[in-house]
Amino acid sequence: MNLRLVSLMGVKFDREVYEVMVPTPDGIIAIFPDHEALISLLVPGVLSVRYDKTDPDEKLEHFAVSGGVVEIGANKVKVLADEADHGDEIVESEAKAALERALKDKSEAKDQVELDRAHELIDRHAVRLKVAELRRHHRRI
Amino acid sequence: MASVQVLRQRIRSVKNTKQITKAMQLVAASKMRRAQETTKASAPYSSSARELLASIGRHQSAKHHPLFMKRTIKNRLIIVIASDKGLAGAYNANIMKLYAEQLIDDRRNGIDTQTITIGRKAAQFAARLKDSRVVGAYEELPDNADSPMFKAILNSAVDKFVSREVDAVDVIFTEFISMAKQQVDVVRVLPAGLKFTDKTDDMDEADYEPSAQELLDAIAYRLVEARIFQTLLESRASEHSMRMVAMKNATDNAADLISDLTLVMNKSRQGAITQELAEISGGVEAINL
Repeated sequence: MNLRLVSLMGVKFDREVYEVMVPTPDGIIAIFPDHEALISLLVPGVLSVRYDKTDPDEKLEHFAVSGGVVEIGANKVKVLADEADHGDEIVESEAKAALERALKDKSEAKDQVELDRAHELIDRHAVRLKVAELRRHHRRI
Repeated sequence: MASVQVLRQRIRSVKNTKQITKAMQLVAASKMRRAQETTKASAPYSSSARELLASIGRHQSAKHHPLFMKRTIKNRLIIVIASDKGLAGAYNANIMKLYAEQLIDDRRNGIDTQTITIGRKAAQFAARLKDSRVVGAYEELPDNADSPMFKAILNSAVDKFVSREVDAVDVIFTEFISMAKQQVDVVRVLPAGLKFTDKTDDMDEADYEPSAQELLDAIAYRLVEARIFQTLLESRASEHSMRMVAMKNATDNAADLISDLTLVMNKSRQGAITQELAEISGGVEAINL
């Protein structure tokens, strides 16, 4: 099954995989080969990829994705995301600092606009931090 | 004839200027290469969004979606993309010329125009025109679609269009045709134009989550986003390319000036020596008489 991950900054990922887990409004759905045709919204979260059937969870690759759309066809999955970063591209300390900054912004927000923006940033950096942590855990094993 | 010392000083100062313009040329060249790559990178996103929209459009009437609705134009929003810094040849002047023309056209046709400026130069120019009503001015916009500043521009354009405050949104930007050719252009981003194909594919039987309508909203918005982002990237590539050419011309001119000045300086030095010799030999003649 082919997975193609496209963000505004270019094609992030395009290769054969066995399983993809994508975050949708109804929760995370796992997609295996021959999944029925489906077009769904994508919510900010962790997108995980398993290359081979026999790969253990530790070998999963993780991406931090923001909102977008996922299109599932016969043996092809197309993900259109505003932003998609591979675990290797995220520096954990930076993501953590950014999350703390966003939390601070939230506590100091003066109006609804600032509050909304802080919430958006918190969501985004929380996901990035999670992906960075997942990657660290897997490296350790 | 100017003294040798004055000429030497001038040559030195022109040489310094040449070094600076040369450095700016190299910086612009490397920035242009990067901008060009990013411009190419964002193309798959637009094409994917368009394909998806076509799939959904067959099921749901996308033509009646708020972002696609065509209305008679009474108010419009112009987004002017210029640069923060000057010294880029005619880059900003070309943009301002087109913008001024658009404003005149609108006034003649009784259209009320609002403007959002991107880049310090655009803001400075728009502020000087009495016809322009600037509703937003953005400076130092990063080349990043995730930046809050870009989202703010996008959202205000979409909100104004959906709330019927404006009937069209246009972007004035510089199209990057090639490294040697850039052209200022105005494109309509809202209402979003859309070509519907009757092509069917394996997605016809697809289920929609949460609903086709919500998906349509999300994708239509992304399409507009990709379009505006693309104009921004092309403008950036054009800016760097034009700055590179302008700086190359400046460097060449400086080199010409240096060789001219050196020639004048050598002539003047030689003239001084000749004169001195003539005076000495004249003096010797006088003594010997």
